[in-house]
Amino acid sequence: MRFSRKFFLLVLVLTLAALVGLQLTTAQDQAPIQIGVAVAQTSNVALLGQEQVIGAQIAEAFFNERGGVNGRPIQLVLQDTAGDEAGAINAFQTLISANVVGILGPTLSQQAFSADPLAEQAGVPVLAPSNTAKGIPEIGEFIARVSAPVAVVAPNAVAAALDINPDIKTVAVFYAQNDAFATSETGTFQETVTARGLTLLPVQTFQTTDTDFSAQITNVLPSNPELVIISGLAADGGNLVKQLRELGYTGLIIGGNGLNTSNVFPVCQALCDGIIIAQAYSYQADTEINRAFVEAYTAGQGKNPPQFSAQAFAGIQVFVEALTRLDNVIPLETLDVAQTRALLNAFILTGRYDTPLGTLTFTRDGEIIQAQFYVAQIDMADDGQTGQFVFIR
Amino acid sequence: MNDFINTYGFLIISLVLQAILALSMYLPLMAGQLSLATPGFYAIGGYVAAILSVRTFLPASGTTFPEPLQSFVLWLGTVFPATPQGQAFPVSLLLVEMLIAGVLCGLLAIIVGLPALRLRGIYLALATIAFVEIVRVVSLNLPITGGSIGIFGIPQPYPTKFEFAWIAVPFLVIVALFVYRLERVRVGRALVSLREDELAAAAMGINPTYHKVLAFTLGAVIAGACGALSAHFINTWNARQGTFDASILILAYVIIGGSRTWLGPIVGAFLLTALPEVLRGAADVQGIPTFLAQFLKDGRLIIFGLLIAFSTLFFPQGLITPNLFKRRGGSEGER
Amino acid sequence: MLAQQLANGLAIGSVYAIFALGYTLIFSILGIINFAHGAIFTLGAYFTYTLMGLQFGFNGLLAQQKLPFGLPFWVALLVGAVIAGLFGVFLERIIFRPLRARGADPLLTLVASLGLAVAIVNIIQYLVGAETYSYPSGAALPGAPASVNFGTTEAPVIIRTAQLIIIAVAVLILIVLTFFINRTKTGRALRAVSEDATTSSLLGINTNQLIRLTFFLSGFVGGVAGTLVGLNVGITGPYLGISFGLKGLAVIVLGGLGSIPGAVVGGLLIGIVEALVPASLVSYRDALAFAILFIVLLVRPQGLLGRPLIQKV
Repeated sequence: MRFSRKFFLLVLVLTLAALVGLQLTTAQDQAPIQIGVAVAQTSNVALLGQEQVIGAQIAEAFFNERGGVNGRPIQLVLQDTAGDEAGAINAFQTLISANVVGILGPTLSQQAFSADPLAEQAGVPVLAPSNTAKGIPEIGEFIARVSAPVAVVAPNAVAAALDINPDIKTVAVFYAQNDAFATSETGTFQETVTARGLTLLPVQTFQTTDTDFSAQITNVLPSNPELVIISGLAADGGNLVKQLRELGYTGLIIGGNGLNTSNVFPVCQALCDGIIIAQAYSYQADTEINRAFVEAYTAGQGKNPPQFSAQAFAGIQVFVEALTRLDNVIPLETLDVAQTRALLNAFILTGRYDTPLGTLTFTRDGEIIQAQFYVAQIDMADDGQTGQFVFIR
Repeated sequence: MNDFINTYGFLIISLVLQAILALSMYLPLMAGQLSLATPGFYAIGGYVAAILSVRTFLPASGTTFPEPLQSFVLWLGTVFPATPQGQAFPVSLLLVEMLIAGVLCGLLAIIVGLPALRLRGIYLALATIAFVEIVRVVSLNLPITGGSIGIFGIPQPYPTKFEFAWIAVPFLVIVALFVYRLERVRVGRALVSLREDELAAAAMGINPTYHKVLAFTLGAVIAGACGALSAHFINTWNARQGTFDASILILAYVIIGGSRTWLGPIVGAFLLTALPEVLRGAADVQGIPTFLAQFLKDGRLIIFGLLIAFSTLFFPQGLITPNLFKRRGGSEGER
Repeated sequence: MLAQQLANGLAIGSVYAIFALGYTLIFSILGIINFAHGAIFTLGAYFTYTLMGLQFGFNGLLAQQKLPFGLPFWVALLVGAVIAGLFGVFLERIIFRPLRARGADPLLTLVASLGLAVAIVNIIQYLVGAETYSYPSGAALPGAPASVNFGTTEAPVIIRTAQLIIIAVAVLILIVLTFFINRTKTGRALRAVSEDATTSSLLGINTNQLIRLTFFLSGFVGGVAGTLVGLNVGITGPYLGISFGLKGLAVIVLGGLGSIPGAVVGGLLIGIVEALVPASLVSYRDALAFAILFIVLLVRPQGLLGRPLIQKV
């Protein structure tokens, strides 16, 4: 049976070739592309970091399922920054030495000012998932952010409030003075209020660790404001809303970006109802990628995704898509780490990304250009335990 | 080796800086004064360096200060010129900042210390915590300190963090030598006698107020200068630096390390600062079971807290006790 | 307006006071500052949440777990507080008693309690995540209004119901504790221990047992306080109680260390000072509160209700 012998040899050769090829591809599979994630997994900002980790991990699973970077999977390397500056630097330093191609993080703007210069110096691209302070992308060419500074969002929320109640004349503003996020946001809100010709009552400050706001509320409530604007985080902001209502305030409330999380629901419960929220992300955005993200998030977490998770997802997505475009031009395996990082940074800034946040591009500085912003209103269920953000603008 | 320094350079210098802060808190404790003011002076020192090197003292364009101040500010602007992009911040200016911060904190310490040091024990501790909290809130509110965002983009004297060793290590050595010597000269023994028995010390002609304020002020000078260095070291400075939490942590360095000898605070600071990072590194060691690696990663602060709590049981006098030296070094003629 | 701000002061202060009660109890008997009190306070809030049969979130080891049964709020509060008290006894057994036996410096005990606090907070996060939780609305007093107006419609003096509950419970705890310490045999023995532990044990008082009791009471009161504050502001995460550590310390020192009525008076006073800060200076509020504290300390170093320091000769 000469024929079958030849056939046998052919099969043998093909199998060997396939095995070698398979081995090559498995070798590739075994070396996933490492992306660092340095956010606050402990300390009192862990609430934010926890949401960011979830978003990033959903992105990891999601993109790997879709073939990663041209067939090569990505792998997240998590390092906890805790809540302080030194922790952020240690986490960044560990990731830089671990040869990650880029870093998503850190959680707080103050930490970014501390740790980002190290990444800049090492030539590692950084995407900030939640740093909104002025001056973050300006730290250096390797620093960009997917978290829009609130300047664009705030006026929309005020406009939405005026749509609901055109008779608003007097506005009370509260903000958490020890939070960088709230401090930058409130500036924009105050400018908007003044620009609209509304009366601004003496601005009231609090600390994110405060639990009682009755004194500040009493300072403004007798002047009968028709609109209250709050810039803070979930726990303090939620309690402020609750206490405003319980002390008899009936007008409209605008909550800043920090309240854009379902973590406010347990705090103010039924009294959350009606808060207008300026959002950089809406889970109702009707795009393919967002539907997929919301589905994955809801499957794991049983609720709709918050902005912090969406931004972390978008950050990883930007890394993956930029890596893919880079790989298409110059195969990644021909590059060493330093080259990959430098080229990746260039590709990040020149790309256009359809993320759950909407379409994103970057300026040359690394500032985000986000196409869509949202204004939503909180609608609580009758039991006061669950709620949702209803998109109004 | 290079990799090691790249990864742990920042941590190593952090250890040194924290050790300096621990010694700053140890000084008043030598005189029996539980002062937790160190982070307050540390914060002020950092702001001094940040304000001078980033030049936030300059008036916004178009505005001017009233006259003597305006000239002073403009003069200051020539002493601390803008650091051009990509150039190193002169080390000499960094030393000047540390000096200014030290002197300023020293003066402030005398003003705060004279009334406050009449208090004892936990009351003094609380008064000094009040000071720390006041510094924090004021710096959140002043425009010159940048509010909650703080001051960022602080120019760098060295290209890498590890090279801060050129200043930090001599600084620690000088402070440690100073405290070591202090424990062996008359003033130092006066401080220790105040700790052991204030009434007896006063009866022997030791001026309690003078010596207490002296120890407090020396601690403040060290903390202020350390803050100035730290501001450059961590690139940014804000109201989150030097808070009540830091007070307690630095106290833990001193107590865990041993509060009876100069080496104790240093060892305590090294251990407690390094521990969370060592635990972070331990999670990446090859060959340990996955669940353990995961726990080391997620639960490292649990381990950290438990180690602090239980180490107090095994070392009730702190890790380093004076007896440790005596056993080795023979008699020192004390007691 | 002034009346309202005074009422606000009571409201703010009531939280400080109820936090400080358990804190000062340990200090009064043992002379140690127990930083772990804030963590036990937090645990109390989480225990009650668990005992009500409510479900945890999606993070941490206990994600989505819940008990197969659910107790009503007030029962859960009491059981939770008992567990918190037992937890206090547990900590006493593993850390504080061995430290006492070794004659450790009070500062060392303080550092040990700090270590415990760090560990407990992170254990909570490890188990149930950092997210916010809350008791169902109306859990405490179903159908009660959210706030009560003690003034008129024109000049309202409004206090929120949750805070009225806290004030009432704080006063109740104060009365019970004062009665217990001053009028019962055990209480008198406790006072003897706080005066001089060695002599009282020579007199046949079982010191260890009494100290265990103190830790139980402190943990119990802390657990009640944690749940009520959780009811008021939500369980805002594992740091719920720790964030009161600084103010709590200020309260017990201002009130006079170890004075149980002092903790309540000190808490309410700091609350009133904070509430009376003028609107335009509100951003300096904490600094003003601490500045006043600083001055009070200089004028009256033993605190408001504390006994003067006895100079040893």
